[in-house]
Amino acid sequence: MQIKVEDLKYTYSPKSPFEKVALEGITFTVNEGDTIGIIGSTGSGKSTLSQHFNALIRVSHGKLYVGDMELHAKKVDLGKLRQSVGMLFQYPEYQLFADTVLQDVCFGPLNFGMSKEEAESRAKEAIELVGLNFDEVKDKSPFELSGGQKRRVAIAGIIASMPQVLVLDEPTAGLDPRGKRDILELVTKLKKSYCKTVIMISHNMDEIAEYCNRVIVLNNGKLLYDTTPRELFKDVKALEGTGLTPPHTAKIASLLANNGIIFSDLPLTVDEFVKAIKGGIAL
Amino acid sequence: MREVSIGQYYPAESFTHKLDARIKLLLTIAFIVMVFLVQSLYAYIAVAAFILIATLVSKIPILKVLKSVKAIIFIVIVMAIINLFTNREGTVLWSWWKVVITVEGIVTAVKLALRLIFLVMGTALLTYTTTPMALTDGMESLMYPLSLIKVPTHDIAIIMSIALRFIPILMEEVDKIMMAQKARGACFDRGGLLKRAKALLPVLIPLFVSAFRRADELALALDARCYNATPNRTKYKQPRLTWRDLVATIFTAVFIVLVIAINNNFWGLY
Ligand SMILES: Nc1ncnc2c1ncn2[C@@H]1O[C@H](COP(=O)(O)OP(=O)(O)O)[C@@H](O)[C@H]1O
Ligand SMILES: [Mg+2]
Repeated sequence: MQIKVEDLKYTYSPKSPFEKVALEGITFTVNEGDTIGIIGSTGSGKSTLSQHFNALIRVSHGKLYVGDMELHAKKVDLGKLRQSVGMLFQYPEYQLFADTVLQDVCFGPLNFGMSKEEAESRAKEAIELVGLNFDEVKDKSPFELSGGQKRRVAIAGIIASMPQVLVLDEPTAGLDPRGKRDILELVTKLKKSYCKTVIMISHNMDEIAEYCNRVIVLNNGKLLYDTTPRELFKDVKALEGTGLTPPHTAKIASLLANNGIIFSDLPLTVDEFVKAIKGGIAL
Repeated sequence: MREVSIGQYYPAESFTHKLDARIKLLLTIAFIVMVFLVQSLYAYIAVAAFILIATLVSKIPILKVLKSVKAIIFIVIVMAIINLFTNREGTVLWSWWKVVITVEGIVTAVKLALRLIFLVMGTALLTYTTTPMALTDGMESLMYPLSLIKVPTHDIAIIMSIALRFIPILMEEVDKIMMAQKARGACFDRGGLLKRAKALLPVLIPLFVSAFRRADELALALDARCYNATPNRTKYKQPRLTWRDLVATIFTAVFIVLVIAINNNFWGLY
Protein backbone atom coordinates (compact mmCIF):
# COMPACT_ATOMS: atom_id res chain seq x y z
CA MET A 1 0.00 0.00 0.00
CA GLN A 2 1.36 3.35 -0.98
CA ILE A 3 0.97 6.42 1.20
CA LYS A 4 1.24 9.83 -0.42
CA VAL A 5 1.46 12.98 1.66
CA GLU A 6 1.07 16.31 -0.13
CA ASP A 7 1.52 19.68 1.54
CA LEU A 8 0.06 18.49 4.84
CA LYS A 9 -0.46 21.20 7.45
CA TYR A 10 -1.93 20.93 10.92
CA THR A 11 -2.58 23.40 13.73
CA TYR A 12 -3.76 22.44 17.22
CA SER A 13 -6.50 24.63 18.78
CA PRO A 14 -6.52 27.19 15.96
CA LYS A 15 -7.52 30.77 16.81
CA SER A 16 -7.01 30.48 20.56
CA PRO A 17 -4.15 31.37 22.91
CA PHE A 18 -3.22 27.68 22.84
CA GLU A 19 -2.74 27.71 19.05
CA LYS A 20 0.17 25.52 18.04
CA VAL A 21 1.33 24.88 14.50
CA ALA A 22 2.44 21.25 14.49
CA LEU A 23 2.95 20.52 10.78
CA GLU A 24 3.88 22.99 8.07
CA GLY A 25 3.54 21.70 4.55
CA ILE A 26 4.87 18.14 4.63
CA THR A 27 5.27 16.29 1.33
CA PHE A 28 6.64 12.78 0.86
CA THR A 29 5.70 9.32 -0.34
CA VAL A 30 5.93 5.95 1.36
CA ASN A 31 6.13 3.09 -1.14
CA GLU A 32 4.88 -0.41 -0.52
CA GLY A 33 7.64 -2.44 1.07
CA ASP A 34 9.34 0.56 2.67
CA THR A 35 10.43 0.61 6.25
CA ILE A 36 10.50 4.31 6.78
CA GLY A 37 11.85 5.99 9.87
CA ILE A 38 10.50 9.30 11.09
CA ILE A 39 12.92 11.08 13.36
CA GLY A 40 13.06 14.49 14.99
CA SER A 41 13.38 15.96 18.44
CA THR A 42 10.46 15.98 20.91
CA GLY A 43 7.67 18.24 19.70
CA SER A 44 8.77 18.23 16.08
CA GLY A 45 5.41 16.82 14.95
CA LYS A 46 6.15 13.12 14.47
CA SER A 47 3.12 11.86 16.40
CA THR A 48 0.84 14.44 14.79
CA LEU A 49 1.98 13.31 11.35
CA SER A 50 1.60 9.62 12.09
CA GLN A 51 -1.88 10.03 13.56
CA HIS A 52 -3.00 11.35 10.19
CA PHE A 53 -2.29 8.00 8.57
CA ASN A 54 -5.34 6.31 10.03
CA ALA A 55 -7.51 9.39 10.40
CA LEU A 56 -7.16 9.75 14.15
CA ILE A 57 -6.45 13.32 13.11
CA ARG A 58 -8.40 14.43 10.06
CA VAL A 59 -6.62 16.24 7.27
CA SER A 60 -7.28 19.97 7.65
CA HIS A 61 -5.02 21.18 4.86
CA GLY A 62 -3.24 19.33 2.06
CA LYS A 63 -3.78 15.88 0.62
CA LEU A 64 -3.22 12.40 1.96
CA TYR A 65 -3.65 9.18 -0.03
CA VAL A 66 -3.47 5.78 1.68
CA GLY A 67 -3.71 3.11 -1.00
CA ASP A 68 -6.84 3.96 -2.97
CA MET A 69 -8.39 5.93 -0.10
CA GLU A 70 -8.36 9.71 -0.03
CA LEU A 71 -8.14 10.86 3.56
CA HIS A 72 -8.69 14.51 2.69
CA ALA A 73 -12.10 13.65 1.26
CA LYS A 74 -15.17 14.45 3.36
CA LYS A 75 -16.19 10.84 3.84
CA VAL A 76 -13.66 8.16 4.61
CA ASP A 77 -14.39 4.50 5.26
CA LEU A 78 -12.83 4.49 8.70
CA GLY A 79 -13.33 0.77 9.27
CA LYS A 80 -11.52 -0.20 6.11
CA LEU A 81 -8.79 2.38 6.68
CA ARG A 82 -8.10 1.43 10.28
CA GLN A 83 -8.00 -2.23 9.49
CA SER A 84 -5.39 -1.67 6.80
CA VAL A 85 -3.32 0.79 8.84
CA GLY A 86 -2.43 -0.57 12.26
CA MET A 87 -1.15 1.84 14.86
CA LEU A 88 1.02 0.98 17.80
CA PHE A 89 1.26 3.74 20.39
CA GLN A 90 3.82 4.36 23.06
CA TYR A 91 3.00 2.24 26.11
CA PRO A 92 0.32 0.21 24.31
CA GLU A 93 -0.26 -1.84 27.48
CA TYR A 94 -2.38 1.05 28.80
CA GLN A 95 -5.11 0.23 26.28
CA LEU A 96 -5.89 -3.24 27.69
CA PHE A 97 -9.38 -3.48 29.12
CA ALA A 98 -11.13 -6.80 28.56
CA ASP A 99 -11.71 -9.63 31.06
CA THR A 100 -9.41 -12.04 29.32
CA VAL A 101 -6.42 -11.79 27.03
CA LEU A 102 -8.31 -13.56 24.26
CA GLN A 103 -11.21 -11.07 24.40
CA ASP A 104 -8.83 -8.16 24.37
CA VAL A 105 -6.96 -9.38 21.33
CA CYS A 106 -10.26 -10.13 19.56
CA PHE A 107 -11.50 -6.56 20.10
CA GLY A 108 -9.96 -5.20 16.91
CA PRO A 109 -10.88 -8.06 14.56
CA LEU A 110 -14.48 -8.09 15.88
CA ASN A 111 -14.78 -4.33 15.42
CA PHE A 112 -13.65 -4.76 11.84
CA GLY A 113 -16.52 -7.12 11.23
CA MET A 114 -14.91 -10.55 11.41
CA SER A 115 -16.84 -13.53 12.70
CA LYS A 116 -16.12 -14.81 16.20
CA GLU A 117 -14.33 -17.93 14.94
CA GLU A 118 -12.22 -15.98 12.52
CA ALA A 119 -11.33 -13.37 15.15
CA GLU A 120 -10.28 -16.09 17.59
CA SER A 121 -8.12 -17.87 15.09
CA ARG A 122 -6.47 -14.55 14.17
CA ALA A 123 -5.99 -13.83 17.87
CA LYS A 124 -4.34 -17.19 18.41
CA GLU A 125 -1.98 -16.54 15.53
CA ALA A 126 -1.15 -13.05 16.80
CA ILE A 127 -0.56 -14.15 20.39
CA GLU A 128 1.81 -16.84 19.25
CA LEU A 129 3.56 -14.44 16.91
CA VAL A 130 4.41 -12.10 19.78
CA GLY A 131 5.98 -15.01 21.61
CA LEU A 132 3.36 -15.93 24.21
CA ASN A 133 1.91 -19.35 24.87
CA PHE A 134 -1.70 -19.12 23.70
CA ASP A 135 -3.20 -21.81 25.94
CA GLU A 136 -1.40 -20.43 28.96
CA VAL A 137 -2.49 -16.80 28.67
CA LYS A 138 -5.76 -16.81 26.77
CA ASP A 139 -8.04 -17.01 29.82
CA LYS A 140 -5.96 -14.84 32.11
CA SER A 141 -6.90 -11.28 32.94
CA PRO A 142 -4.58 -8.92 31.07
CA PHE A 143 -4.01 -7.08 34.34
CA GLU A 144 -2.36 -10.02 36.07
CA LEU A 145 0.39 -10.32 33.47
CA SER A 146 3.89 -8.91 33.84
CA GLY A 147 4.75 -5.59 32.17
CA GLY A 148 6.52 -7.19 29.24
CA GLN A 149 3.69 -9.69 28.71
CA LYS A 150 1.11 -6.89 28.80
CA ARG A 151 2.91 -5.07 26.03
CA ARG A 152 3.05 -8.24 23.96
CA VAL A 153 -0.69 -8.79 24.39
CA ALA A 154 -1.35 -5.19 23.37
CA ILE A 155 0.76 -5.62 20.27
CA ALA A 156 -1.05 -8.86 19.47
CA GLY A 157 -4.30 -6.89 19.72
CA ILE A 158 -3.10 -4.68 16.90
CA ILE A 159 -1.59 -7.24 14.55
CA ALA A 160 -4.59 -9.54 14.97
CA SER A 161 -6.48 -7.32 12.50
CA MET A 162 -3.74 -8.06 9.95
CA PRO A 163 -2.89 -4.50 8.92
CA GLN A 164 -1.03 -3.98 5.66
CA VAL A 165 0.69 -0.90 7.03
CA LEU A 166 2.01 -0.67 10.56
CA VAL A 167 2.69 2.69 12.20
CA LEU A 168 4.82 2.47 15.32
CA ASP A 169 5.10 5.55 17.55
CA GLU A 170 8.24 5.07 19.63
CA PRO A 171 7.57 1.36 20.05
CA THR A 172 10.67 0.64 22.10
CA ALA A 173 10.43 3.52 24.59
CA GLY A 174 10.95 2.34 28.14
CA LEU A 175 11.99 -1.20 27.23
CA ASP A 176 15.18 -3.03 28.10
CA PRO A 177 17.57 -3.91 25.23
CA ARG A 178 16.14 -7.41 25.01
CA GLY A 179 12.55 -6.13 24.79
CA LYS A 180 13.57 -3.63 22.12
CA ARG A 181 15.16 -6.33 20.02
CA ASP A 182 12.10 -8.58 20.39
CA ILE A 183 9.76 -5.89 19.07
CA LEU A 184 11.98 -5.04 16.12
CA GLU A 185 12.45 -8.72 15.27
CA LEU A 186 8.67 -9.06 15.34
CA VAL A 187 8.35 -6.17 12.89
CA THR A 188 10.87 -7.85 10.61
CA LYS A 189 8.84 -11.06 10.81
CA LEU A 190 5.59 -9.22 9.98
CA LYS A 191 7.21 -7.56 6.99
CA LYS A 192 7.85 -10.98 5.52
CA SER A 193 4.14 -11.83 5.62
CA TYR A 194 1.17 -9.46 5.33
CA CYS A 195 2.47 -6.20 6.68
CA LYS A 196 4.71 -4.95 3.90
CA THR A 197 4.97 -1.30 4.84
CA VAL A 198 6.24 -0.05 8.18
CA ILE A 199 6.42 3.52 9.44
CA MET A 200 8.54 3.77 12.53
CA ILE A 201 8.99 6.77 14.79
CA SER A 202 12.06 6.46 16.93
CA HIS A 203 14.61 8.37 18.95
CA ASN A 204 17.07 5.54 18.64
CA MET A 205 19.29 6.17 15.62
CA ASP A 206 20.90 2.75 15.88
CA GLU A 207 17.47 1.19 15.33
CA ILE A 208 16.73 3.51 12.41
CA ALA A 209 20.12 2.77 10.85
CA GLU A 210 19.63 -0.94 11.16
CA TYR A 211 15.99 -1.42 10.18
CA CYS A 212 14.93 1.43 7.89
CA ASN A 213 15.58 1.78 4.20
CA ARG A 214 14.43 5.40 4.24
CA VAL A 215 14.30 8.15 6.77
CA ILE A 216 12.35 11.38 7.16
CA VAL A 217 13.70 14.09 9.44
CA LEU A 218 11.23 16.55 10.94
CA ASN A 219 12.22 19.76 12.65
CA ASN A 220 9.63 22.15 14.14
CA GLY A 221 6.89 20.75 11.93
CA LYS A 222 8.91 21.06 8.74
CA LEU A 223 10.39 18.28 6.64
CA LEU A 224 14.15 18.67 6.78
CA TYR A 225 15.41 15.56 4.95
CA ASP A 226 13.87 12.71 3.00
CA THR A 227 16.71 10.34 2.25
CA THR A 228 18.34 7.02 3.14
CA PRO A 229 19.96 6.47 6.53
CA ARG A 230 23.33 5.98 4.84
CA GLU A 231 23.14 9.37 3.14
CA LEU A 232 21.81 11.08 6.25
CA PHE A 233 24.38 9.75 8.68
CA LYS A 234 27.29 10.14 6.25
CA ASP A 235 27.47 13.78 7.15
CA VAL A 236 27.50 13.77 10.93
CA LYS A 237 27.27 17.58 10.98
CA ALA A 238 23.99 17.63 9.02
CA LEU A 239 22.06 16.57 12.10
CA GLU A 240 23.36 19.44 14.21
CA GLY A 241 20.61 21.82 15.25
CA THR A 242 17.93 19.14 15.09
CA GLY A 243 18.79 17.80 18.53
CA LEU A 244 19.53 14.36 17.10
CA THR A 245 22.72 12.36 17.37
CA PRO A 246 23.90 9.93 14.68
CA PRO A 247 24.15 6.20 15.41
CA HIS A 248 27.26 4.90 17.13
CA THR A 249 28.65 3.32 13.97
CA ALA A 250 28.51 6.64 12.12
CA LYS A 251 30.13 8.45 15.04
CA ILE A 252 33.02 6.00 15.22
CA ALA A 253 33.43 6.09 11.44
CA SER A 254 33.63 9.87 11.51
CA LEU A 255 36.23 9.76 14.31
CA LEU A 256 38.24 7.24 12.32
CA ALA A 257 37.97 9.44 9.23
CA ASN A 258 39.52 12.31 11.17
CA ASN A 259 42.52 10.06 11.68
CA GLY A 260 42.85 9.14 8.06
CA ILE A 261 40.92 5.87 8.09
CA ILE A 262 38.23 6.41 5.50
CA PHE A 263 35.47 3.96 4.64
CA SER A 264 34.44 3.85 1.01
CA ASP A 265 30.81 3.41 2.08
CA LEU A 266 29.53 4.29 5.55
CA PRO A 267 28.87 1.11 7.56
CA LEU A 268 25.53 1.47 9.34
CA THR A 269 25.10 -1.68 11.42
CA VAL A 270 27.58 -3.35 13.69
CA ASP A 271 27.80 -6.29 11.25
CA GLU A 272 28.65 -4.02 8.36
CA PHE A 273 31.18 -2.25 10.49
CA VAL A 274 32.96 -5.46 11.48
CA LYS A 275 32.95 -6.64 7.88
CA ALA A 276 34.46 -3.38 6.69
CA ILE A 277 37.21 -3.48 9.29
CA LYS A 278 37.99 -7.13 8.55
CA GLY A 279 38.08 -6.37 4.83
CA GLY A 280 40.85 -3.92 5.67
CA ILE A 281 39.45 -0.88 3.94
CA ALA A 282 41.88 1.88 3.19
CA LEU A 283 44.27 0.70 5.90
CA MET B 1 -11.63 16.41 24.09
CA ARG B 2 -9.51 19.11 25.64
CA GLU B 3 -11.98 21.77 24.61
CA VAL B 4 -14.89 20.51 26.71
CA SER B 5 -13.33 21.27 30.07
CA ILE B 6 -15.59 23.84 31.74
CA GLY B 7 -13.85 26.91 33.01
CA GLN B 8 -10.28 25.84 32.50
CA TYR B 9 -7.80 28.65 33.06
CA TYR B 10 -7.62 30.96 30.06
CA PRO B 11 -4.35 32.90 29.99
CA ALA B 12 -4.52 36.60 29.17
CA GLU B 13 -3.07 39.88 30.40
CA SER B 14 -5.97 41.59 32.09
CA PHE B 15 -7.08 43.50 35.15
CA THR B 16 -9.05 40.52 36.44
CA HIS B 17 -6.20 38.06 35.90
CA LYS B 18 -4.00 40.21 38.11
CA LEU B 19 -6.47 40.40 41.00
CA ASP B 20 -5.72 38.58 44.22
CA ALA B 21 -7.37 35.15 44.20
CA ARG B 22 -8.84 35.69 47.67
CA ILE B 23 -10.56 38.88 46.58
CA LYS B 24 -11.89 37.16 43.47
CA LEU B 25 -13.24 34.31 45.59
CA LEU B 26 -14.97 36.66 48.02
CA LEU B 27 -16.40 38.77 45.20
CA THR B 28 -17.67 35.65 43.46
CA ILE B 29 -19.39 34.53 46.66
CA ALA B 30 -20.95 37.98 47.00
CA PHE B 31 -22.08 37.73 43.37
CA ILE B 32 -23.67 34.32 43.97
CA VAL B 33 -25.56 35.58 47.02
CA MET B 34 -26.73 38.58 45.01
CA VAL B 35 -28.00 36.40 42.18
CA PHE B 36 -30.01 34.33 44.66
CA LEU B 37 -31.59 37.39 46.23
CA VAL B 38 -32.58 39.10 43.04
CA GLN B 39 -36.26 38.75 42.14
CA SER B 40 -37.17 41.35 39.57
CA LEU B 41 -36.53 40.88 35.88
CA TYR B 42 -35.13 44.42 35.62
CA ALA B 43 -32.47 43.56 38.17
CA TYR B 44 -31.56 40.55 36.04
CA ILE B 45 -30.75 42.90 33.19
CA ALA B 46 -28.40 44.77 35.52
CA VAL B 47 -26.74 41.48 36.53
CA ALA B 48 -26.29 40.59 32.86
CA ALA B 49 -24.67 43.99 32.31
CA PHE B 50 -22.35 43.31 35.25
CA ILE B 51 -21.26 39.98 33.76
CA LEU B 52 -20.73 41.61 30.38
CA ILE B 53 -18.52 44.32 31.87
CA ALA B 54 -16.55 41.79 33.94
CA THR B 55 -16.02 39.63 30.84
CA LEU B 56 -14.79 42.58 28.78
CA VAL B 57 -12.43 43.66 31.56
CA SER B 58 -11.09 40.07 31.80
CA LYS B 59 -10.36 39.95 28.04
CA ILE B 60 -12.06 36.56 27.81
CA PRO B 61 -13.90 36.02 24.50
CA ILE B 62 -17.63 36.32 25.20
CA LEU B 63 -18.20 33.18 23.17
CA LYS B 64 -15.99 31.29 25.60
CA VAL B 65 -18.08 32.40 28.57
CA LEU B 66 -21.26 31.44 26.73
CA LYS B 67 -19.75 28.05 25.99
CA SER B 68 -19.42 27.37 29.71
CA VAL B 69 -23.22 27.57 29.83
CA LYS B 70 -23.51 24.90 27.17
CA ALA B 71 -22.33 22.28 29.65
CA ILE B 72 -25.34 22.86 31.95
CA ILE B 73 -27.95 23.84 29.38
CA PHE B 74 -29.64 20.45 29.75
CA ILE B 75 -30.08 20.90 33.50
CA VAL B 76 -31.34 24.45 32.96
CA ILE B 77 -33.97 23.30 30.48
CA VAL B 78 -35.16 20.42 32.66
CA MET B 79 -35.40 22.65 35.73
CA ALA B 80 -37.24 25.32 33.77
CA ILE B 81 -39.73 22.80 32.39
CA ILE B 82 -40.40 21.32 35.83
CA ASN B 83 -41.01 24.83 37.12
CA LEU B 84 -43.25 25.62 34.21
CA PHE B 85 -45.59 22.71 34.86
CA THR B 86 -45.63 22.65 38.65
CA ASN B 87 -46.65 26.26 39.11
CA ARG B 88 -50.45 26.16 39.29
CA GLU B 89 -51.31 29.57 40.68
CA GLY B 90 -51.97 32.76 38.80
CA THR B 91 -53.42 33.58 35.40
CA VAL B 92 -54.03 30.40 33.45
CA LEU B 93 -52.68 30.72 29.95
CA TRP B 94 -53.26 27.27 28.63
CA SER B 95 -54.58 24.08 30.17
CA TRP B 96 -55.20 20.59 29.00
CA TRP B 97 -56.18 17.63 31.17
CA LYS B 98 -54.01 18.07 34.31
CA VAL B 99 -51.40 20.25 32.67
CA VAL B 100 -51.71 23.92 33.47
CA ILE B 101 -49.43 26.66 32.24
CA THR B 102 -49.69 30.01 33.95
CA VAL B 103 -48.10 33.36 33.22
CA GLU B 104 -46.43 33.24 36.62
CA GLY B 105 -45.11 29.78 35.83
CA ILE B 106 -43.43 31.07 32.70
CA VAL B 107 -41.92 33.99 34.57
CA THR B 108 -40.51 31.79 37.35
CA ALA B 109 -39.14 29.32 34.82
CA VAL B 110 -37.34 32.06 32.92
CA LYS B 111 -36.02 33.55 36.15
CA LEU B 112 -34.73 30.22 37.34
CA ALA B 113 -33.00 29.54 34.03
CA LEU B 114 -31.41 33.00 34.06
CA ARG B 115 -30.30 32.54 37.64
CA LEU B 116 -28.54 29.26 36.86
CA ILE B 117 -26.93 30.69 33.75
CA PHE B 118 -25.66 33.74 35.66
CA LEU B 119 -24.24 31.51 38.39
CA VAL B 120 -22.30 29.41 35.92
CA MET B 121 -21.07 32.45 34.01
CA GLY B 122 -19.90 34.16 37.17
CA THR B 123 -18.00 31.17 38.48
CA ALA B 124 -16.61 30.42 35.01
CA LEU B 125 -15.15 33.92 34.98
CA LEU B 126 -13.42 33.12 38.25
CA THR B 127 -11.86 29.91 36.97
CA TYR B 128 -11.00 31.38 33.57
CA THR B 129 -8.99 34.16 35.16
CA THR B 130 -7.40 32.31 38.08
CA THR B 131 -4.89 29.48 37.89
CA PRO B 132 -5.88 26.38 39.90
CA MET B 133 -2.81 26.92 42.07
CA ALA B 134 -3.81 30.49 42.95
CA LEU B 135 -7.37 29.35 43.54
CA THR B 136 -6.48 26.68 46.08
CA ASP B 137 -3.94 28.95 47.77
CA GLY B 138 -6.64 31.56 48.05
CA MET B 139 -9.10 29.06 49.50
CA GLU B 140 -6.56 27.86 52.03
CA SER B 141 -5.92 31.41 53.07
CA LEU B 142 -9.65 32.14 53.42
CA MET B 143 -10.13 28.96 55.44
CA TYR B 144 -7.54 30.08 57.97
CA PRO B 145 -10.05 30.57 60.82
CA LEU B 146 -11.07 26.92 60.47
CA SER B 147 -7.50 25.77 61.09
CA LEU B 148 -7.77 27.30 64.59
CA ILE B 149 -10.36 24.66 65.44
CA LYS B 150 -8.08 21.92 64.07
CA VAL B 151 -9.65 21.54 60.64
CA PRO B 152 -6.80 20.32 58.36
CA THR B 153 -7.14 23.24 55.95
CA HIS B 154 -3.74 22.66 54.38
CA ASP B 155 -4.58 19.05 53.55
CA ILE B 156 -7.92 20.12 52.12
CA ALA B 157 -6.12 22.67 49.93
CA ILE B 158 -3.59 20.07 48.77
CA ILE B 159 -6.34 17.59 47.93
CA MET B 160 -8.14 20.26 45.93
CA SER B 161 -5.05 21.34 44.03
CA ILE B 162 -4.14 17.74 43.23
CA ALA B 163 -7.64 17.10 41.96
CA LEU B 164 -7.55 20.23 39.82
CA ARG B 165 -4.04 19.49 38.61
CA PHE B 166 -5.07 16.03 37.48
CA ILE B 167 -8.05 17.10 35.40
CA PRO B 168 -5.95 18.03 32.34
CA ILE B 169 -3.73 14.98 32.83
CA LEU B 170 -6.71 12.64 32.86
CA MET B 171 -8.20 14.48 29.89
CA GLU B 172 -5.03 13.84 27.97
CA GLU B 173 -5.16 10.24 29.08
CA VAL B 174 -8.75 9.89 27.82
CA ASP B 175 -7.57 11.36 24.51
CA LYS B 176 -4.76 8.83 24.22
CA ILE B 177 -6.85 5.81 25.20
CA MET B 178 -9.65 6.83 22.85
CA MET B 179 -7.17 7.14 20.01
CA ALA B 180 -5.70 3.74 20.74
CA GLN B 181 -9.15 2.11 20.80
CA LYS B 182 -10.29 3.98 17.70
CA ALA B 183 -7.21 2.63 15.94
CA ARG B 184 -8.53 -0.82 16.89
CA GLY B 185 -11.83 -0.02 15.22
CA ALA B 186 -13.81 1.22 18.22
CA CYS B 187 -16.55 3.70 17.40
CA PHE B 188 -17.87 6.12 20.00
CA ASP B 189 -20.43 8.09 18.05
CA ARG B 190 -22.71 5.53 16.51
CA GLY B 191 -25.73 3.58 17.75
CA GLY B 192 -28.25 4.21 20.49
CA LEU B 193 -27.60 5.46 23.98
CA LEU B 194 -27.00 1.99 25.40
CA LYS B 195 -24.61 1.05 22.63
CA ARG B 196 -22.68 4.24 23.07
CA ALA B 197 -22.43 3.78 26.82
CA LYS B 198 -21.13 0.27 26.23
CA ALA B 199 -18.60 1.53 23.71
CA LEU B 200 -17.10 3.67 26.44
CA LEU B 201 -16.07 0.67 28.55
CA PRO B 202 -12.80 0.15 26.66
CA VAL B 203 -11.95 3.74 27.56
CA LEU B 204 -13.20 3.83 31.15
CA ILE B 205 -11.49 0.66 32.35
CA PRO B 206 -7.98 1.66 31.24
CA LEU B 207 -8.67 5.16 32.58
CA PHE B 208 -9.52 3.87 36.05
CA VAL B 209 -6.57 1.51 36.04
CA SER B 210 -4.28 4.36 35.17
CA ALA B 211 -5.87 6.77 37.67
CA PHE B 212 -5.25 4.28 40.49
CA ARG B 213 -1.71 3.71 39.30
CA ARG B 214 -1.10 7.46 39.28
CA ALA B 215 -2.61 7.87 42.75
CA ASP B 216 -0.29 5.16 44.08
CA GLU B 217 2.73 6.77 42.49
CA LEU B 218 1.77 10.20 43.79
CA ALA B 219 1.27 8.92 47.34
CA LEU B 220 4.69 7.33 47.19
CA ALA B 221 6.25 10.52 45.85
CA LEU B 222 4.61 12.60 48.61
CA ASP B 223 5.90 10.18 51.24
CA ALA B 224 9.37 10.16 49.74
CA ARG B 225 9.48 13.94 50.08
CA CYS B 226 8.39 13.80 53.72
CA TYR B 227 5.01 15.39 53.17
CA ASN B 228 3.61 16.56 56.53
CA ALA B 229 6.95 16.33 58.28
CA THR B 230 6.96 20.06 58.96
CA PRO B 231 3.80 21.48 60.51
CA ASN B 232 4.16 25.12 59.43
CA ARG B 233 4.98 25.39 55.78
CA THR B 234 5.67 28.82 54.39
CA LYS B 235 4.90 30.06 50.90
CA TYR B 236 7.38 31.03 48.24
CA LYS B 237 5.03 33.64 46.83
CA GLN B 238 3.23 35.73 49.43
CA PRO B 239 0.04 37.16 47.95
CA ARG B 240 -0.34 40.92 48.35
CA LEU B 241 -3.35 43.16 47.90
CA THR B 242 -2.98 45.98 45.38
CA TRP B 243 -4.97 48.98 44.17
CA ARG B 244 -6.66 46.66 41.67
CA ASP B 245 -8.24 44.66 44.47
CA LEU B 246 -9.56 47.83 46.04
CA VAL B 247 -11.01 49.05 42.73
CA ALA B 248 -12.63 45.69 42.00
CA THR B 249 -14.15 45.49 45.48
CA ILE B 250 -15.56 49.03 45.31
CA PHE B 251 -16.92 48.46 41.81
CA THR B 252 -18.61 45.20 42.79
CA ALA B 253 -20.00 46.68 46.01
CA VAL B 254 -21.47 49.63 44.12
CA PHE B 255 -22.98 47.28 41.59
CA ILE B 256 -24.52 45.04 44.22
CA VAL B 257 -26.11 48.07 45.90
CA LEU B 258 -27.36 49.20 42.49
CA VAL B 259 -28.86 45.81 41.69
CA ILE B 260 -30.56 45.58 45.07
CA ALA B 261 -31.95 49.09 44.59
CA ILE B 262 -33.36 48.14 41.19
CA ASN B 263 -34.68 44.91 42.62
CA ASN B 264 -36.60 46.75 45.33
CA ASN B 265 -37.74 49.41 42.91
CA PHE B 266 -35.99 52.12 44.94
CA TRP B 267 -36.33 54.72 42.21
CA GLY B 268 -39.83 53.68 41.22
CA LEU B 269 -38.79 52.84 37.69
CA TYR B 270 -41.49 50.28 37.22
N1 LIG C 1 -3.45 17.49 21.62
C1 LIG C 1 -2.63 18.53 21.47
N2 LIG C 1 -3.07 19.80 21.72
C2 LIG C 1 -2.27 20.85 21.53
N3 LIG C 1 -1.00 20.78 21.14
C3 LIG C 1 -0.49 19.57 20.89
C4 LIG C 1 -1.27 18.37 21.04
N4 LIG C 1 -0.50 17.30 20.73
C5 LIG C 1 0.70 17.80 20.39
N5 LIG C 1 0.71 19.16 20.48
C6 LIG C 1 1.84 20.06 20.16
O1 LIG C 1 2.18 19.87 18.79
C7 LIG C 1 3.58 19.80 18.62
C8 LIG C 1 3.95 18.49 17.95
O2 LIG C 1 3.68 17.44 18.84
P1 LIG C 1 3.93 15.91 18.52
O3 LIG C 1 3.38 15.61 17.17
O4 LIG C 1 3.40 15.11 19.65
O5 LIG C 1 5.52 15.84 18.48
P2 LIG C 1 6.49 14.58 18.64
O6 LIG C 1 5.70 13.33 18.53
O7 LIG C 1 7.48 14.76 17.54
O8 LIG C 1 7.15 14.71 19.97
C9 LIG C 1 4.19 19.95 19.99
O9 LIG C 1 4.65 21.26 20.12
C10 LIG C 1 3.07 19.67 20.95
O10 LIG C 1 3.20 20.47 22.09
MG1 LIG D 1 5.42 11.78 19.98
